[in-house]
Amino acid sequence: MSALIRFDHVSKKYNLHADRPRAFTQAFVRLMRGQWRTAGDEFWALSDVCFEIPEGQMVGILGPNGSGKTTALKLMSNIIRPTRGRVHVGASVAGLIGLGAGFHPDLTGRDNIYLNGSLLGLTRREVDRRFDEIVEFAELGDFIHVQLRRYSTGMQVRLGFAVAVSVDAQIVLADEVLAVGDEAFQRKCLDRIRELRATGRTIVFVSHDVVTVELMCDRVLVFSSGQLVEDGPPAQAVQHYHSLMAAHG
Amino acid sequence: MFNQIRLILRYGHAIRNIAVRDLKVRYSNSVLGIVWSFFNPLLMTLVYTVVFTFMLRDLGIPKYPVFILAGLLPWNFFNLATLGAITVVTANGHLIGRLYFPREILPIAIVVSNAINFLIALVLLFAFVVIYRIPLTLYVLWLPVLIVIQIALSIGIGLFLSAIHVFFRDTQQIMEVLLLAWFFVTPILYPLERIREVTRPFVLLLNPLAALIVNYRQILYVGAPPNLGVLAATFVEALLALIVGFFIFRRLSHAFAEEL
Repeated sequence: MSALIRFDHVSKKYNLHADRPRAFTQAFVRLMRGQWRTAGDEFWALSDVCFEIPEGQMVGILGPNGSGKTTALKLMSNIIRPTRGRVHVGASVAGLIGLGAGFHPDLTGRDNIYLNGSLLGLTRREVDRRFDEIVEFAELGDFIHVQLRRYSTGMQVRLGFAVAVSVDAQIVLADEVLAVGDEAFQRKCLDRIRELRATGRTIVFVSHDVVTVELMCDRVLVFSSGQLVEDGPPAQAVQHYHSLMAAHG
Repeated sequence: MFNQIRLILRYGHAIRNIAVRDLKVRYSNSVLGIVWSFFNPLLMTLVYTVVFTFMLRDLGIPKYPVFILAGLLPWNFFNLATLGAITVVTANGHLIGRLYFPREILPIAIVVSNAINFLIALVLLFAFVVIYRIPLTLYVLWLPVLIVIQIALSIGIGLFLSAIHVFFRDTQQIMEVLLLAWFFVTPILYPLERIREVTRPFVLLLNPLAALIVNYRQILYVGAPPNLGVLAATFVEALLALIVGFFIFRRLSHAFAEEL
């Protein structure tokens, strides 16, 4: 089995630089006063993270808030680049990162499906083919012709998930998809994820729902303060996560 | 570089969707919206014609509405495309932070939607050409060439400015002032011949918009062949703007998701 996703000593630094000039006028004033150089605060969202995910595996990611989970997903989907190290991703990626997944509130559900689908790299015909399935899965009914601003949060998440899983990408990233949505929809999402898994997709699943992660994943990574502190079978990793949370108190 | 261009072309469908979205939002009331594409330049033509042929002493420009439209429409296209492109990356921060796609398609789509708007407005210009019985010559066939050059120029400048705006959020305000100045140093309200003869070559060489508008007027208003030397220079400038714009955008776009 070859690694489909590989993190090779990956570090990601965010410059918080609350102080950086954000406008030309501001920069000009600074320059006049000779205060060009500003001490920027740094934040290492990930530091020296190494792991490999082979094809077909379903990997859960656990960790407290701000531990680097979403940063890892963003690196996998090429939205951001590592400060150090290398991220290798060997196949197409689709995923749902955060709520809303890039919808436009002024457009109807229908227009958003086409826009979002095209941004995920689908052609018009490919979206046409998936359209009914997406609408049905998201349980939108007539709301598909309504502007997205009138959707409930649950509806938006359902639509986002429905579009993301319809893309046919080899790698599926799911970030907190279960955080919103009622029980029935959560079950449906999990069923869909199981289906994807059965067809050999590689899935990275970020959630605070420890029970589901333990139940569904082949393997679990635990992040804490930007470091990978555990990489192993679910039961063991979940225990580690619990002790971590207890320590955080 | 070529890989990147191929990737962008693969997202042609997305460019279309974003361009359509831009037009839809602009024409939120679709029936009246298309009408505005004509109505706005028509009203401006009326205003300029009244001011420059009645109120001011006559400049001696025959068929003034055609003269002004042949300059004003390309300028509006450039002006709106540039202003729209500047903010398109920052305005779509929610997409950039959550989805991977070549970010170039955002400013490109804005230029495309304004190009479509320009093509619609050109119908008005052709209507005036017919009304004023300006002979349509075969030189009109140069029109697509001019439009393509202008699109390339606009994309280049749009890419550059939209990337800069992510880091310096007053780019828009600065460009609004600069574009106003640019409008007045470009022979739109006045013919090129009113510019001092010694300065003319510099204007044509340093201001690609002036060069484009001179040639739009050649083929649509004068009914003469375009000035090929000027056209060639504009072509080179547009190509340069496109390459530099792409290069700078590419370099800066890696940090977009973190800045937005």
